[in-house]
Amino acid sequence: MNSVQLSDSNLISLYVAGDENAFELLLNRHKNKVFTTILLIVKDTYTAEDLLQDTFIKAIHTIKSGRYNEEGKFSSWICRIAHNLAIDFFRKEKRSPVITLEDGSNILNVLSFAEESAESVQIKEETHARLRELIQQLPPAQKEVLIMRHYADMSFQEIAEATGVSINTALGRMRYALINLRKKLSTDNNVYDKNIYPG
Amino acid sequence: MIKTFTQDDLVLYVYNELPFAAKAKLEQALTQDYELADHCSELLLAKVDLDKALHSPSPKVVHNILSYSRNLSL
Repeated sequence: MNSVQLSDSNLISLYVAGDENAFELLLNRHKNKVFTTILLIVKDTYTAEDLLQDTFIKAIHTIKSGRYNEEGKFSSWICRIAHNLAIDFFRKEKRSPVITLEDGSNILNVLSFAEESAESVQIKEETHARLRELIQQLPPAQKEVLIMRHYADMSFQEIAEATGVSINTALGRMRYALINLRKKLSTDNNVYDKNIYPG
Repeated sequence: MIKTFTQDDLVLYVYNELPFAAKAKLEQALTQDYELADHCSELLLAKVDLDKALHSPSPKVVHNILSYSRNLSL
């Protein structure tokens, strides 16, 4: 089956008809974005993996029982389920989430690093960890819109409705989130340069 | 006359939500307005950076989800 030529909608139709390979393609296509959406909210790898399973189990039941609504994008739908589950978890816990140490993460999970050197993998992982840290430092309203738009793949209109603000406010928050992120990354890089070339 | 675009238009453009006609006009404006192009490139670079923060779940979790699906018949 050529996944490049099949849309999410095609894959869902095949899955409804009993093709489990279609579901595997769908899962592999969306798992990283869904997982990152959850991880940025709960900040714990193991909890995020549990919630990822819950998310897809909900999706499996909805699709297999014929209750999946074809309107809208699959990616937005699945990420909305994930986002809601993560927020529910966060509220139920009523505490600051546990932060998993970076050295506790499973490097084998990052498939794209499989053929790179250990040093290269470490540098990349440190950069990515720093990026996730910077996202966490954004003001909550900006972070929320950023996660919903970039990782959960919701449209600005959907975000505006979900968060009870105007679309202009959602756009403004996203713009500030992106600009803040760039500024923070730029500051990081300047500090790094000074360390290399002191004085 | 070239339409004046807002910063919000740039965000919509970067996330591919700008209507087709407006997109074409914005791309034309980007070739002539260096300040607008500079703002746009910053937003695009931030978007690229965000992709680097993507994380993968463990293969075991993926396997569990696939097994659940295969074993479920409704």
